[in-house]
Amino acid sequence: MLFWILVATLTAAVAAVLLLPLLRAAAGTEAPQSHDVEVYRDQLEELKRDEKGGLISGEDADFARAEVARRLLAATDAVKATAPVQLQRRSNRLAQLAVILILPAVGLCLYLRTGNPDVPDAPLAARLANPGNDMNILIARAEQQLVANPNDGAGWDVLAPIYYRAGRVEDAAAAFRNALRILGATPARLGGYAESLIALSGGLVTTEAQEALQKSLAIEPNDPRAQFYLALGLKQEGKATEALAAFEQIVKTSPAGAPWLPLVNEHIAGLKGNGATAAVDQPGAKLGNPTGADIAAAEDMSAGDRAAMIEGMVGSLAEKLKADPKNFEGWMRIIRSYSVLGQKDKAADALKQGLAAFPADGDEGKQLLALASELGLKTDGGVK
Amino acid sequence: MIIELGHYALVLALAVSLLQAVLPIVGAVRNDRALMEIGTVAAKASFLLVAMSFAALTYAHVTSDFSVRNVWENSHSQIPLIYKFSGVWGNHEGSMLLWMLILTFFSALVAVFGDNLPESLKANVLAVQAWIAAAFSLFILLTSNPFNRLLDAPGEGQDLNPVLQDVGLAIHPPLLYLGYVGFSVCFSFAVAALIEGRIDAAWARWVRPWTLAAWTCLTAGIAMGSYWAYYELGWGGWWFWDPVENASFIPWLAGTALLHSALVMEKREALKIWTVLLAIMTFSMSLLGTFLVRSGVLTSVHAFATDPTRGVFILMILILFIGGALSLFAFRAAHLKAGGLFAPISREGALVFNNLILTTAAATVLTGTLYPLALEAVTGAKISVGPPFFNMTFGLLMLPLLLAVPFGPLLAWKRGDLLGAGQRLFAAVAIGLVAGSAIYYAQNGGPIMALFGIALGAYMIAGSLTELFLRSGLGKVTGAVALRRLSGLPRSVFGTALAHIGLGVTLIGIVAVTAFETEHIVEMKPGMTTDAGGYTLRFDGLRNSNGPNYSEQSGHFVISRAGVNIDEVWSSKRLYTARQMPTTEAGIRTFGVSQLYVSLGDGMADGGVVVRIWWKPMILCIWGGVLFMMAGGAVSLSDRRLRIGAPARAKKQTKPVLEPAQ
Repeated sequence: MLFWILVATLTAAVAAVLLLPLLRAAAGTEAPQSHDVEVYRDQLEELKRDEKGGLISGEDADFARAEVARRLLAATDAVKATAPVQLQRRSNRLAQLAVILILPAVGLCLYLRTGNPDVPDAPLAARLANPGNDMNILIARAEQQLVANPNDGAGWDVLAPIYYRAGRVEDAAAAFRNALRILGATPARLGGYAESLIALSGGLVTTEAQEALQKSLAIEPNDPRAQFYLALGLKQEGKATEALAAFEQIVKTSPAGAPWLPLVNEHIAGLKGNGATAAVDQPGAKLGNPTGADIAAAEDMSAGDRAAMIEGMVGSLAEKLKADPKNFEGWMRIIRSYSVLGQKDKAADALKQGLAAFPADGDEGKQLLALASELGLKTDGGVK
Repeated sequence: MIIELGHYALVLALAVSLLQAVLPIVGAVRNDRALMEIGTVAAKASFLLVAMSFAALTYAHVTSDFSVRNVWENSHSQIPLIYKFSGVWGNHEGSMLLWMLILTFFSALVAVFGDNLPESLKANVLAVQAWIAAAFSLFILLTSNPFNRLLDAPGEGQDLNPVLQDVGLAIHPPLLYLGYVGFSVCFSFAVAALIEGRIDAAWARWVRPWTLAAWTCLTAGIAMGSYWAYYELGWGGWWFWDPVENASFIPWLAGTALLHSALVMEKREALKIWTVLLAIMTFSMSLLGTFLVRSGVLTSVHAFATDPTRGVFILMILILFIGGALSLFAFRAAHLKAGGLFAPISREGALVFNNLILTTAAATVLTGTLYPLALEAVTGAKISVGPPFFNMTFGLLMLPLLLAVPFGPLLAWKRGDLLGAGQRLFAAVAIGLVAGSAIYYAQNGGPIMALFGIALGAYMIAGSLTELFLRSGLGKVTGAVALRRLSGLPRSVFGTALAHIGLGVTLIGIVAVTAFETEHIVEMKPGMTTDAGGYTLRFDGLRNSNGPNYSEQSGHFVISRAGVNIDEVWSSKRLYTARQMPTTEAGIRTFGVSQLYVSLGDGMADGGVVVRIWWKPMILCIWGGVLFMMAGGAVSLSDRRLRIGAPARAKKQTKPVLEPAQ
């Protein structure tokens, strides 16, 4: 609203300034060539000064004076010949109307076409001070910190999944690699790393990705994500039987009603029905119909499916934390995950529960609070 | 909100320009003072509006507001503050806004200081300025809007082009634009004179200072650009006859011609119609330069064809303004009264000679620049017209002009004495030859043309001083009287002498560096030495470091002469992280007016690095001469007198045949 008031004020001020000469116009007379006469008179004066100062000889000055005087005479004659022009005070209603109409008309029409009146300024400093859920700024801030301190493993840990979600899979892979190097292997990092590599290679579960997934399984044998991608890798290699067994193993270890089960079951059905080769032949074929190998490509997965899968994992983590709240890493992860998913309320809720387990005055509690402020969460449960 | 207000201010400036483009002309036709007065007010208002708009864009750049597309594309939160400012005009959209700012600034100056102009002339001039302003603000708003927003603001910018992250870029474009746009005022005066059908006596008095100011800025801008290319691009060249350079050089040649013909017109009321035509041509060349650089037509005719919005828009502006002004000239020039008469051999005649050569040279460079484009558009064949063409044609054209430069100021107005001037220049010729031979022997063994070139330069310097020498009467009168006379000379005389001396100095620099430059490309390992220009460089090794937004690898060299260490130099390669773009930062050491130029190449597998070392003898003369020219422009500009040239009296009874001024 303030913006439009300022726009109106600016327009009115300019219009007023332009109208001013139209309203106070005075009549007067001016001969068309009187300026010429003035110039030649000035030139004669100048000649006199030059001669006095010794800049030109008397002879030269006489000659120049004669020339200027001839021009002066001609100009004076011309003035006499033409009658002085009467500068009249005329009605200039039309001009006034033009000023009043054209300024707002052109101004508004063009501005509404090209402008974005609703978009506020976004100076970087203000965005950094109060990032809210501005994903881009969270990334930028983390990046800036990491440029200053490239061995900050926690920073890479935060940044990696965000990169992945933003589609910057190459950066995501690099960030996961850094986090693994600095902080060591966890299923989350290994899984994320593998997922980034898979996305990077266009959906193929590469050898490098398989190695990471196997390491992850060595730590956490029932990680459904690692199991799923390994099974998919087997399927892509044409090892139908092994793939089928692996998928069936996922169903066995998963809790009943886990959100990824339908996906896994479709794979099982596909492998049982058509044989593995058919599925391999058409990777990425039927988008949105999760029966083929295309499921594997994280970028090809529909947003809903991916969210469902992540939510499934987050859900299982939440279950674990409910059973065992003294899991500091778990709380950190779940708060991050919720805020990455955009579920600020749940993140704030998790923060509250985490703080119940790790009081705010303890070391872990402080870390939780730091994370919360980094993510723009309020400690009292709301979102800034 | 600040940004959107800036955007709206620009739109409003367009609306004001539209009014300013029409109402004052109507007022001039109807002798309505109120309507004419609107031009004055509107010019000031639109300058303030564009300044608001420019300030808003600057604010966005300085605060790294990445919700503005222009900022996101051309800035980075980590670059030093000065590049956040210069980034405002270091891109297409912002530079066009700077163009507008300067244009409206000049209109406002005419409005503020134009009280002594005839009212109708002032009204028409301001209206023509407003046509240009309206066309360009429409261009900016419709095709190159710097205020376009990004709804999902990125967290970091894509960085300013690393090559442009340099102090030189902070100054170069504004200077160049001051020059380009300054000529718009001369253009507006010319068109206004054509509209009115007469040229007032005050006309030339107004056009000369504008031309002088614009010319001085353009000269500075071109020199700045040349020096910037020399030290930043890392291959030691200072002029490449590149189309972008030519685009600024053509208006400079035309502007230099205009400067001299405006002089004749002011002092002698001769060459009136020619000056009007030159004023139109000079600004047309500035517009053409803007078109060539801004439309993308230079990168490839095909690139231009795939995204022609901008190019076609500027092309329309070009056709409208150049075509319109020239048609107006064709229809109205006959109505203008021709000016005074003069003999072929006279100061006026010398300036006509200067104009002929300069305009021919401008046409030559224009042909060389546009021919490849035309050929590619018609046949698809890609050719490049390089330095050989320009050196042959342009160099040969310049030769007689350079020889004639010292003669001009020594000839009398109206009718002159060539033989007398020649005799008076005898000493200058002798000095030139001696100096030329001296430098030739000092540099031992350059091509024979270099001797001639340097002699020519020295002759020009000495010849320019001859005029001051003669006018002070040094040698004929006592020293004190001569000194008093010298200090009493009009400042424009010093301006002329300074500018012509500058031309001579630049010429010497160009010839010396072309003829005597040495280049060494060697692979060096730490501890190795190499010789260049009488100095020995020892390579110490490489060091890695980090800047705010780049990583850097610098090589350290110790310079010694005759076994004594006298200096050291760092030369580095940078990698700008945001764009992953490498640049070179050449190491340059100055000895007198000569320079040692060290540029790092690629590292080799065995730990060595390729180093290019140039010895650039007297290279600083090139830009030093330009400083003289600028000083000449400034001194001449400060001469606020009314200037009349006293004509020479005919000596014999038989009058020489007088030529009409046109």
